[in-house]
Amino acid sequence: MKKYFILISFVVIVITSITFLGCERDDICSEATSTTPHLIIRFYDIDNPNNLKQVRQLEIVGLDENDMPLSEDILSRTETDSINLPLNFQDQDVITTTRFQLEKNADYSDDVDSDGEQDLTTSSNPDIISITYTPEFIYVSRACGYKSIFNLDETQGIQRDGSAQGDDDTWITSFEIINQTIENENAAQIIIYH
Amino acid sequence: MLFSIASNAQIGDTEKQADTLVYKQKYGLRLGGDIGKIARSVIDKEYTGFEIIGDYRLSKKLYIAGELGTEERRIATDFLDVTAKGSYFKAGIDYNTYTNWLDMQNMIYTGFRVGVSTFSQTQNQFTIYNTDQYWNNQSINTDAIEYNGLSAIWAELVIGLKAELFTNLYAGLNIQIKAMVSQDQPVDFENLYVPGFNRTYDSGRFGLGFGYSLSYLVPIFKKDKKVVLEKETN
Repeated sequence: MKKYFILISFVVIVITSITFLGCERDDICSEATSTTPHLIIRFYDIDNPNNLKQVRQLEIVGLDENDMPLSEDILSRTETDSINLPLNFQDQDVITTTRFQLEKNADYSDDVDSDGEQDLTTSSNPDIISITYTPEFIYVSRACGYKSIFNLDETQGIQRDGSAQGDDDTWITSFEIINQTIENENAAQIIIYH
Repeated sequence: MLFSIASNAQIGDTEKQADTLVYKQKYGLRLGGDIGKIARSVIDKEYTGFEIIGDYRLSKKLYIAGELGTEERRIATDFLDVTAKGSYFKAGIDYNTYTNWLDMQNMIYTGFRVGVSTFSQTQNQFTIYNTDQYWNNQSINTDAIEYNGLSAIWAELVIGLKAELFTNLYAGLNIQIKAMVSQDQPVDFENLYVPGFNRTYDSGRFGLGFGYSLSYLVPIFKKDKKVVLEKETN
């Protein structure tokens, strides 16, 4: 009997060890975990600064290092008062700038007059903003590894190209940084007035 | 039946006087190694480990036991690549719940250990976890960072068995349930693997380990032991 008991114990231990080694449940980064955040911008009314104001037909695209728009849109022709922007980054503690083109009334660029030519009486209005920040890498967990958070630059956190850069018709009037650090996606960090 | 197989070698020492049985009881220091760790070192190229085990009989039921080992383990995921390396020492007692026949030293035991480990962790590489790949620009950081002089203390509950395969040669199996008492964590990072403790879990301080051992009993003591019928006296 005792010999069988030893044999059975042996089998139980081997099976248990195989089962346990197979399941490593906290090796998958859960979606609920806060990892590298987006920049959240909300749009407010310049005439009534306490009220949100939607942007009509907003289309957003990122600009590469040569200021050329990427082929993929971040947002395509949506009426919204809140946007999430992915920030480009490579190295920790290196001041980095990402540029975005925010095009209002994007559908107007498709308008044609009766001759089939582009209708010049209505046009979309692209504005370009620059976000300048310093990435900071923070350890999250075994499964997620590290995330990056971003510290917006004190003076140049957000800038908009104006007439000096060749844009005489801007729809973005002003902006305000309300949170210098982008570490989660719970609240907006920047407000744009228009 | 079991008696006749296991103590074949000593059968000559056993003699019968009326209803009393006298036999030589051997015990002393049992020394060995963890063959599971050696096998894994050969199979798994991310792991190297070696452990010496020993136990010493204090009384029929109580043994002093300990393990001394060294481990190196690399944990690499898509986002993190870390190597932990160090040595450990565990000491405690085993309590034998198995009633041996005559001269055997088999064990089915529960035990308790306190373990200490000193180790280092090297972060070989990490990739920032970013769900939005709009910029198609993975931030991969390949500068190795070594965190030295880390240490950990933990407690273990052990359940296992040791059985004599051949004369004085024992094979053993055990499960260790571990609870971290305290550990030095690197600043802005954590211990993913602690030599001797095994991998850590996000969910808490508990860990798990398995041992497959082979050990040899050095018979330091031999004493005559009388057994009256089947009643055990000690």
